[in-house]
Amino acid sequence: MPFRFLPDVALADIAFEAESDSVEGLFESSALAVSDVMVDPETLRSETTKKVRIYAEDLDRLLYDFLTEIIVVKDVDSLLFREFEVEVAADQKSLKATMKGEPIDRVRHLLRNDVKAVTMHLFGVRREGSRWKTTVVLDI
Amino acid sequence: MPHIDSIKQISDVVWEIPTSYKPGMLVPARIYATKKLLDGMDAGVFEQVTNLACLPGIVRNAYAMADAHWGYGFPIGGVAAFDTESGVISPGGVGFDINCGMRLIRTNLRYPEVKSKVKELVDLIFRLVPAGVGVKGTLRISESQFEEVMKYGVQWCAENELAWEDDPSHVEEGGFIKGADPSKVSRQARSRGIEQLGTLGSGNHYLEIQVVDPARFFDRNLAKYFGIVEEDQVVVMVHCGSRGFGHQVGSDYLRVFDGAMKRYGISVRDRELACAPFSSKEGKDYYGAMVCAANMAFANRQVIVQKVREAFSQVFHKDAEALDMHLIYDVCHNVAKVERHSYDGVKAELLVHRKGATRSFGPGHHDIPAPYRAVGQPVIIGGSMETGSYLLVGTSKAMEDTFGSTAHGSGRTMSRTAAKREVRGAELQRKMLERGIYVKSATMDGLAEEAGMAYKDISEVVETMDRAGISKKVVALRPVGNIKG
Repeated sequence: MPFRFLPDVALADIAFEAESDSVEGLFESSALAVSDVMVDPETLRSETTKKVRIYAEDLDRLLYDFLTEIIVVKDVDSLLFREFEVEVAADQKSLKATMKGEPIDRVRHLLRNDVKAVTMHLFGVRREGSRWKTTVVLDI
Repeated sequence: MPHIDSIKQISDVVWEIPTSYKPGMLVPARIYATKKLLDGMDAGVFEQVTNLACLPGIVRNAYAMADAHWGYGFPIGGVAAFDTESGVISPGGVGFDINCGMRLIRTNLRYPEVKSKVKELVDLIFRLVPAGVGVKGTLRISESQFEEVMKYGVQWCAENELAWEDDPSHVEEGGFIKGADPSKVSRQARSRGIEQLGTLGSGNHYLEIQVVDPARFFDRNLAKYFGIVEEDQVVVMVHCGSRGFGHQVGSDYLRVFDGAMKRYGISVRDRELACAPFSSKEGKDYYGAMVCAANMAFANRQVIVQKVREAFSQVFHKDAEALDMHLIYDVCHNVAKVERHSYDGVKAELLVHRKGATRSFGPGHHDIPAPYRAVGQPVIIGGSMETGSYLLVGTSKAMEDTFGSTAHGSGRTMSRTAAKREVRGAELQRKMLERGIYVKSATMDGLAEEAGMAYKDISEVVETMDRAGISKKVVALRPVGNIKG
C-alpha cells in the first residue's frame, strides 16, 4: 500500500501518511488515499478521464491544491477516481494530472466518507533519505 | 488530561489555567467540565485552549466547553472573543464547516401515532433529502440567486416560497448574518455550493425524528414557550452546515491566512491557528466570505426542513401547518460573529468565535424572537445517534460568564477507525432497531463510525452546562428514526 491511515492522529477525522521514491509517486499515492476515504476503489471503473493543471508557490501548496482539486471535482462534477498519473514540473511549482474514474453511482459504488477539506495540520512534503513522504489530515 | 500543576478549581464545574502556564498567554483559559469529563479530556484541549489565550486582542478568557476535544487550531468546544479593533479573526476558530448548526422543528403528533410510520417517514425523507458523498440537491438556482442566498439566507428562502412566514425570526440572527460579501468567495467555492442546497452531507451530520422523553422533561413551563407541551411529542432535529461551499471558503482562506501572518508580524503555535487582524484586508475578506457560507448554511437547513414538512404531510395526509410543524429554533455552532457584550464593567463590540459551541443568550436579549424573549434563547445540543439530544435555554449567567456561549454536543472520544473495529454498520443498524431506532444511512462504514460508544456521555456534558448555569435543561429528546449522511 503506498499510503497508510493513522487512526490516532485526528479523533474526529482521518489522517494518512503516504510515501514514494519520487515526488510524482508521492502525489499519486496521496490522491489514492483521498479517494479511498470517499469510496472503495474496487467498486470504481476507469471510464472517465479528467485532466487538471495546477500552479502553486511551492511543493507543499502544490500538493494541498491538488488534493483539494480532487475534493472539488467530487462535488462539482460528481466524479470519483481510482487512477492518477501526475507530472510535476522541474521547479515543483506546477503539475499536470490525468485522473481516471467515473461519475458517482449510489447503487454500485461502496461510498464511504465525504471529505470536507485538506487541513494544514501536520501538513507538508518532506524528504527522508531517498524517500518522499507526507502526512495529511482530512476534515470529515 | 495531562498533569497541570497550576490548574485551579473555580467552582465544581469550572477550572482555570492561569497566564503563567505558558509564555505568551494574554488571558487565562477556562474549562467547563465535571472532574470526570476533565480527566477524560485529551491533551490537545489543554494545549489548544491555552494557545487561543495567546492570540492578539483576546479578551477576558479563552474557553473550552464540556464537550471539548482536539480540533484544528481551536479545540472543538472552543470560544474566544476578540476586540474588533485590536483583535484577530481566525478561520481555524470557525472550522471548515462554517455554520454547521442545529435546527429543531416541532409537530403536534405524539409517538403512539407515529410509531408505525417511522420507517415510511425515514425512507421518504431519505429520498427527499440527499445525503452522502458528493450529493447534489434538487433545487436549481442561478448564479445571481445563489448570491442572494449568500447575502440573505433564510430571508431569501422566505421570499421564494421555501419558508413559512415565522421561520426567519426563529433562526439565529433572523436567518442571515449581515456583512456578506460574495465578491470575496472563490469560483471553486461557488461551483461546489450552487447545487448543494437541501443536502445533508456526510460525517456526523444527521436528520432525526425524536420524541420528548417523559422521564427527562425537566421544565414543562419553559418547554411550553417552545411549543413542547406533551410527553411523547414528536420533533425533528437537523444537524448540518454549509456543505462544500463553506468547506471551500475555509480551505481558500486558510491558505490566504497562512501567508498573511508574516505581514502582520503574528506568529502562532500551530499552523491551523493562522489568523489576521479583523481590521486587515484579509480579515475583512474572510469575514465577508465566511458570512456568505454561514447564510448558505441557514438556507440549506431551511430547504431540508421544507422537505421534512413535505414528507410528514404526505405520510399523515395533512398540511404541515395542521401538523404544527413550526421551527422551534436554528442555532449555529461553528461561526464568528460581531456581538455586543458587557464584561468587567465594559460594554464592547466583540468578534466572538464559537467553534463547536452554541450561542446561549439569556432572557431579555433583543436578538431572541419575541415569543421566547422572556425566557431566553433555545439551545439545541445534539447527541450521538444512539443517546439522544437535549433542548436547553440560554441564561443571564452565560451572558456574564461566557459571552453568551455553551456546549454544542457530546464530543468524540474514539477515532473513526477504532469505532469501525468495535462494530459493523449493519450490526449497529440491527441493534438500534431492536432499541426502537430505525436508521437509514448513505454508508455502512460511516454509520459504524458514528456509533454512540465513540462519543462522550451527552448527559454529563449537559449536566455540566446546567450546573455552571450557562444554559438550563428543558427537555431530553430520544431518537426513534435517524438519517445519517
